[in-house]
Amino acid sequence: MFRKKNTAGVNSNEIRAILDEKKAKMKLSLKACAHCSLCAESCFLFMGHNKDPKYMPSYKFLNSVGVLYKKKGNVDKLDLGEMRDLVWERCVLCTRCYCPIGIDIPDMLALARRICRSQGVYPQYDRE
Amino acid sequence: MIKAKIKPVQEILDAINGYEKILNVGCGGCVSVCLVGGQKEVNALNAELKVHLKKAGIQKQIDGYTVERQCNESFLKELDNKILEYDCIVSMACGAGVQHMAQRFSKIPVHPAVNTVSIGVDRDLGMYEEKCRACGHCVLGYTGGICPVTRCAKGLFNGPCGGTNENNCEISNEIPCAWLDIYKRLKEQNRLDDILKVYPPMEWQNQSPRTIIQEPYERRYLALG
Repeated sequence: MFRKKNTAGVNSNEIRAILDEKKAKMKLSLKACAHCSLCAESCFLFMGHNKDPKYMPSYKFLNSVGVLYKKKGNVDKLDLGEMRDLVWERCVLCTRCYCPIGIDIPDMLALARRICRSQGVYPQYDRE
Repeated sequence: MIKAKIKPVQEILDAINGYEKILNVGCGGCVSVCLVGGQKEVNALNAELKVHLKKAGIQKQIDGYTVERQCNESFLKELDNKILEYDCIVSMACGAGVQHMAQRFSKIPVHPAVNTVSIGVDRDLGMYEEKCRACGHCVLGYTGGICPVTRCAKGLFNGPCGGTNENNCEISNEIPCAWLDIYKRLKEQNRLDDILKVYPPMEWQNQSPRTIIQEPYERRYLALG
């Protein structure tokens, strides 16, 4: 559904600069993902949540870094908030996810976290 | 998880005395969860340091940055270029993170901003209780899930000392005797036989830093070694 973005408080240039640091790796990773779902069972959170597809490492990576790349960093706080839930609530960054093609999923999720942090979006353990 | 406590601000100010450009690095791991060394706390500490420095009429550049975990090499990589701009690092991670940081950036002084206190549990928001001292010889199965190393002031492995003070420890009337609690728990479970088992003393002396390799990975790492 179309939603008018409120980009106040978000520095898209800064997001783009961070994305650019890993552009080659990110582009290749996004392109290489074959949606094979073989990474799924290497994620203990996926297994522990009745194999909910939203916990699949590929889902988390495509819906965080993938979205940031596709939108060229033009996201608002709401987008980043959704991303925060994805990369912190559904991932503990244990770095154990396995991709048969060799995509470094933890590195991509860490990149998404770094971007969220750069915009002041991160978990507030005393408020949640 | 690991629990830590912020150092007194004066101690941190003393540590950064003499440095012009300081990077305060937070950790998104355990210290973030126990509300002492995450991104929010980095911002708060930087603001506090700046106020103190301003009052004293001292000019310094203090910046903040938070990595996902300071105890994992792959997350420290993103600091490689950034760190070159600074002449001192303040780390808000646990002792492991601080050492890891100091090892990777060995040419720059690294100062801890927190005291690593324990491995503990969350009692309530902002309230944590020590539960484990990582002694490397877990006997919880025989002590009813109460750790004698952590809970007993003397870390006794085989029953209480002679100083048991009613139901409490001889060091304080407010600290319950660990071995009395172990006795009660085992009695409740009808397992008092376990308390009679004698364990050899812990070899605290000769302890060197422990590196563990999980069994399925032994072939991988030990073959390389």
